[in-house]
Amino acid sequence: MKALVPYPKNCTGCRFCEMVCSLAKENLVNPRKARLRILKKDVASDIPVVCTQCGKCIEGCPQEAICKDNGVVKIDAEKCIGCGLCVEACPFNVITMVNDVAVKCDLCNGNPLCVKYCSQGGVKFEEVKA
Amino acid sequence: MNGYAGKILRMDLSNKEISENETPKKLINSFLGGDGFGTKLLYDEGSSPAFSEKNPVIITPCLFTGFPVPTAGKTIFHSKSPLTNIYAESVTGGGIGAAIKHAGYDSVVITGKSEKPCYVYIENEKTEIRDCDFWGKNSRETAKILKRNLGEDVVVASIGIAGENLVRFASVDCEDRQTGRGGIGAVMGSKKLKAIGVKGTKDLTPDNPEKLLELVEKWYKPMIESPAYNDDTKYGTGEFLEWMNNERGTFPTKNWQAGTFDGHKTISPYYWAPKYVKKNKACLSCVKPCGKLFKIDSGKYKGTMLDGIEYETLFSLGSNCGNADPEALAKANELCDLYGVDTISCGGAIGFAMEMYEKGMITKKDTDGIELKFGNSDAVPIMVEKIAKREGIGNILADGVRETSKKFQGSEDFAIHVKGMEPPAYEVRGIKGMGLAFMTSPRGACHLRSGAYALELTGKFWKFEGVDRFSSKNKGNEIKSMEDFMTVYDILGVCKFSRGIFLINGVLDFVEAVTGMKLSENEILKIAERTNNLKRMYNVREGITRKYFKLPKRITSEPLPDGVAKGRYIKPEEAEEMLDDYFKARGWDKNGNPTKEKSRELGLENI
Repeated sequence: MKALVPYPKNCTGCRFCEMVCSLAKENLVNPRKARLRILKKDVASDIPVVCTQCGKCIEGCPQEAICKDNGVVKIDAEKCIGCGLCVEACPFNVITMVNDVAVKCDLCNGNPLCVKYCSQGGVKFEEVKA
Repeated sequence: MNGYAGKILRMDLSNKEISENETPKKLINSFLGGDGFGTKLLYDEGSSPAFSEKNPVIITPCLFTGFPVPTAGKTIFHSKSPLTNIYAESVTGGGIGAAIKHAGYDSVVITGKSEKPCYVYIENEKTEIRDCDFWGKNSRETAKILKRNLGEDVVVASIGIAGENLVRFASVDCEDRQTGRGGIGAVMGSKKLKAIGVKGTKDLTPDNPEKLLELVEKWYKPMIESPAYNDDTKYGTGEFLEWMNNERGTFPTKNWQAGTFDGHKTISPYYWAPKYVKKNKACLSCVKPCGKLFKIDSGKYKGTMLDGIEYETLFSLGSNCGNADPEALAKANELCDLYGVDTISCGGAIGFAMEMYEKGMITKKDTDGIELKFGNSDAVPIMVEKIAKREGIGNILADGVRETSKKFQGSEDFAIHVKGMEPPAYEVRGIKGMGLAFMTSPRGACHLRSGAYALELTGKFWKFEGVDRFSSKNKGNEIKSMEDFMTVYDILGVCKFSRGIFLINGVLDFVEAVTGMKLSENEILKIAERTNNLKRMYNVREGITRKYFKLPKRITSEPLPDGVAKGRYIKPEEAEEMLDDYFKARGWDKNGNPTKEKSRELGLENI
C-alpha cells in the first residue's frame, strides 16, 4: 500500500504544497483548507504534517460517513453533518471543515499534487507497511 | 477584484487610530501591485525626515504573493531610509505578505510613533496596537514569543536590538528571511514598533483557478530543469563566487582595494556547503531553494545556525574584510540576522573601518583594543556586535560609511557608497554598465534594481546581446530597460533568479489567471516605467540632483590592481557620458528630472 510520508529534513518550508492543494481541491488558495500543513517551529525545522490514511477518523465519525476504500480514507459529503468529531479524532490535525463539511486528503486519485510539486522530496508517496 | 485582497490598512501609532479603505481601482490600473503600490503609497505620504512621525513603514505583498506561482512570494517594505535619506525599498521572501493578504489587505501603511514599545497584531479585520514587554529580544526570540502568545500560525516581522538602537542600516527579520537594505528596521525602531504579527485566514480567489493550476503544471518543469536549479539547490547564491573572482575579476575585496580575494576558496560554497549545510531553505513559494541551513557543530563558533551564507554576505563580511574563515563569517552573519542588521552595509562599514585602521586614521584606542586589520576574521563578528549595540567605534559605524567618513579627514577618498548606500558585491570597475546601475538606483548602490550584472558579465540577456562590460557606450538604454524589466518582478513578487526562466511573457499568463487582466509586455513594462519614474520623483522632491548620481572616488580614479579586469576603472567622463545616455533613454532632462512630456506619457503629470 502506498501512502504519504513526510521527510522533514528535505522540507524547505516553501509551502507550495499547501497552496497547490487548496487550489486543486477548493478552487481557491488558503493553506487552512489544504489537506496537509507545514509546521514551522524555527529556522531549523520545517515539518510536513500529512494524512497517513490511518483511519482514526472512521472511529470518530458518528454518522458512518467515513470509510476506507482501497487504502484511501474517504468522507462522504452527503452523509457528513459537520459535527467536527473527525477533526478531533485526527491525530495529525489534517482534517478541516470547509463550508461545514469535513474534508481530508484523498491522495488525488493516486497522483498526489503535494508530492508532484515538491522538488525536494519533503513529502513522498511510497510503499508502507499496512 | 479577483486576485486582490481588496483593502488597504492604515494605522497611526501616535494616536492609535486604525482605518481601512478599499484598494483604489486607479491604483490597480496604474501600478498593479507590490512595488508599484508601495512606491505610490510612499510618494503620497509626502516628504518627512526618516525618523519623524510622518515617515511611513509600508508593507506590501506583491501581486502573486500567496498564490502558487513558482518562486513568487515576495513582500516589499517601503519607507524613507535613515541611511541615505532618500527613497528606500527592501524585499523579503518571508511569509508576512501572504499573511497580510489572507487577513484581507493589499498593503499596510504604518505611521506615527508610539510612546512605549509596542507591537501590532492583525487578525483578519481586527487590528490591535499592543504593549510590548519583549523589547530587547532578538529576532528568533521575538518570533517565538509572538507564536507562543498568539498561535503557531501567526507570521512575524520584527526588529532586533539594532533597529531599537536606530542603527541606520537595521533590517527587518521575517522569520529568518530579511529585508536588509536601507535601514527600514531603524524606522520601525524610531516608532517603538518591535514587531508585526499577522494571522490571516481568508481565501484568496484567483480569477481562473483551472488556468492557474495548468500554468503551475506548465512552468514547474522548466523551473526544476533549468541549469540554475542545480546550482541554487546545491550551493545557493554563492555558487558563482569563484567565477566572479577567477574568470571575471570582479569580486570586491578589502574595501574595494582589489577585484579578487586570495581567500576565495574557503568562503566559496563549493568548500563550505558539503561541510556545514544541513538542509535547504526556501522563500515562500520557491521550488528551487537557494537558502541553506548552515550549522557549526564544534569549535569556538559551535552552535552557530543561520539561513545562509548568501553571495552578497560572502563578500561583505568575507572578502571585504579580508575574512577567509567561513565559521567567523557564519557567526557574523548569524549575529546580523539575530540583531537585525543588513549584512551588506554592515560589512561595508567594517571593511571601511579596517582600511582606516591600516592607514592609521584610527588606532586600538578607538577600537577598544581590537586589531582591526584586514584578515582578522574573529574581529568581524565582534564588530557586528559593537555596531548593533552602538558600542565604542560601533556607535560611529552604525551611521553608515558616508556619515563615518565625515568624521575622519581623508577617509572620504575610500568611502565606498553611492547616495549613502554601501554597494553589493559587483566590482563595477570591471562591469561598467553595472557602475551606471549603481549610480541610477533610486535607493543608492544596488544590484537588484537592474540585475544588469548578469547581462554585462555574460554579454547577453533578454533582448540584448554582444554587451561589452568594459565599454561605457550604449549603457543608457540597457540599464533603463533592465530596471523596468526587474521592476515587473518586484510588482509581481517573482524571484529575480527566475527572470531568465519566465521572462516577461511567462509571467503575463499568470497575471491573467490570477486577476483576469490581459496585459501585453509593453503594458506591464509601462507600469514598471511609471513606478520607476515615481521613485525618481520621490528623490527629486528630496533634493537629489545630478551631483548625487556619483560613483565612489576609488571607482573613478584607481585602476583595478589585480585579476582579469586588471587596469580597468570608470573614468569620470565615462561615468558622466553613461549618465547622460541614461537620462536621455529615460526621457529625463540633464539633471535627471522627468520631463513634462515623459510625465504626461506616464500619467504622472498631476502627481
